[in-house]
Amino acid sequence: MSVDADRIVSGFESDGHGAFVESYDEGERMVINMGPVHPATHGVLRLKLELEGETVVRCEPIIGYLHTGMEKECEDQNWRGAVTIVTRMDYLAPFFNEHVYSLGVEQLLGLDVPERGRYIRMLMAELNRLSSHLVWFGTQGLDMGAMSAVFYGFREREILLDFFEMVTGLRMNHGYIIPGGVWEDLPDGWEDAVARILDVLPGRIDEYEELLSLNPVFLERTRGVGVIERDEVVALGATGPIARASGVDWDMRRDAPYECYGDLEFDVPVENAGDVYARYLVRMAEMKQSVRLVRQITERMPKGEFKNLDPKVTPPDRSELGRSMEAVIHHFKLVTQGFAVPPGEAYTSVESPRGELGCYVVSNGGTSPYRVHVRDPSFVNLQSLPLMVEDGLIADLIASIASIDPVLGGVDR
Amino acid sequence: MSEGLWFRAEEWAARADELKADGWRAIDLCGVDRLGLTDAGNRFEVVVQLLHMDRRERAVVHVAAAGDPPTVPSVTNLWPAVNFMEREAYDLLGIHFDGHPNPSRILMPDAWEGHPLRKDYGVGKVPVEFVPQPFLQLDAPGQATTSEGAGRTVDRLGQPEPGEDGVSRPDGAMAPSGAITPNGDES
Repeated sequence: MSVDADRIVSGFESDGHGAFVESYDEGERMVINMGPVHPATHGVLRLKLELEGETVVRCEPIIGYLHTGMEKECEDQNWRGAVTIVTRMDYLAPFFNEHVYSLGVEQLLGLDVPERGRYIRMLMAELNRLSSHLVWFGTQGLDMGAMSAVFYGFREREILLDFFEMVTGLRMNHGYIIPGGVWEDLPDGWEDAVARILDVLPGRIDEYEELLSLNPVFLERTRGVGVIERDEVVALGATGPIARASGVDWDMRRDAPYECYGDLEFDVPVENAGDVYARYLVRMAEMKQSVRLVRQITERMPKGEFKNLDPKVTPPDRSELGRSMEAVIHHFKLVTQGFAVPPGEAYTSVESPRGELGCYVVSNGGTSPYRVHVRDPSFVNLQSLPLMVEDGLIADLIASIASIDPVLGGVDR
Repeated sequence: MSEGLWFRAEEWAARADELKADGWRAIDLCGVDRLGLTDAGNRFEVVVQLLHMDRRERAVVHVAAAGDPPTVPSVTNLWPAVNFMEREAYDLLGIHFDGHPNPSRILMPDAWEGHPLRKDYGVGKVPVEFVPQPFLQLDAPGQATTSEGAGRTVDRLGQPEPGEDGVSRPDGAMAPSGAITPNGDES
């Protein structure tokens, strides 16, 4: 097909901007299927949109493309093994998944975690919050056309993943936080590694703010876009930065402290505008608070055991296996069969980067979970998307999805 | 028995109303199948986690889902947050929620048979078949739109999958191949 140059030129002149705008009938609606394979849906989220021109009239999120039955698979593992399943749910915040599940099992067992174990958990959680928010920063910027944001965000995230690898051996899906504490103590030289992160990161976060916070294009695309009111947020069950950007002053680290968060000083950033820009401000402020928390945790890191040494739950140290037949039998029994958990049920929750991450575990007294249910914040937060985007433009829809920061692995489980 | 409040299905709607008026907020809802742990009549239950933000308290409510199929009243009208969660409990455990605005599957394909989180549903025993179906079934439950079918164009925004693979749901929600013509028919 040849291009009719004259027609393009005349079209350019008549429209003033060169595009051939085809008219559509007023009131005619078009159904557009956005995703599941679309770069702005942050995974395999499918949105069924009903459009009038460029305006979104109705939006329905359709999920399930990544559903692999992880809750069912947990029932086939022993209590310790299920950690490796739950860590794969929200793959940007794996430590939080392990943490909330371990808290539930510990509650059923009545198991204490030594103070050093708690501090290591908080250290990993706060660094994980930073790495997760850095991915959000990159993708939010990318979706708004700021290409450099994604390079910067992923560059800094790499420093954090290197630290995770140094501590756990893996960059993602660590299986590091286990019922009773953590799997291994922090390696030699971890203080220097954290100090290097703390040297670099605060300056870089300031740099990001210079890049976007007062950027006219970014402001234009985010302020007053995707607005959701405080009442609507509460009704729809949204938690985390989305709720805090609409004026809900609630952070479980402060309001329902778990581990040793009660001993640490930090602020909970709250905004009232409820738009994409407010959610941006909340997350940027949260990153600074996480840096502050990591600094305090490093200074206060206590000495001692990092996991509960109750022989019913924790296998003997490997060094004992060469010396004691009892230890070999004990180790073998705990690894093959696992430990039994008394019958009962527990619901525990932590403040994940996306909001309240809850875990409901039921035990029938056996060596594997009877039921594991994870309340993933992405799954619930996604319900507020239609309210944010209806009667807005498609371009604003992209901004709203990025500001929800859904992780589809957690949504579909 | 577990701690927390226990309600029968008949009284749940009224009690939920009282709880909501008292300032409680439903933060989580899930179903549990207690096959073998209890007598057959009490097999299914719905577990609701409540949060009172002003008092900073939490509470747990169990609602027994009796009958066949197990049914409890939906509380979506009180707490819109439980919309997805009730659909998930229906999808994975087959608990019906009376009065739910969109009682359809949410995680499994619409054409799936059975409810995988039930204790009598085996793991790895169901062969997965990918049946090609029309791209966008506007008449299928859960997908119906509000406006009339006339004069609409169906298209997709985003990359088409390479070949026939890519991310496709077994119910054929994505087109196997080919262009999409108006009214959702495949060419």
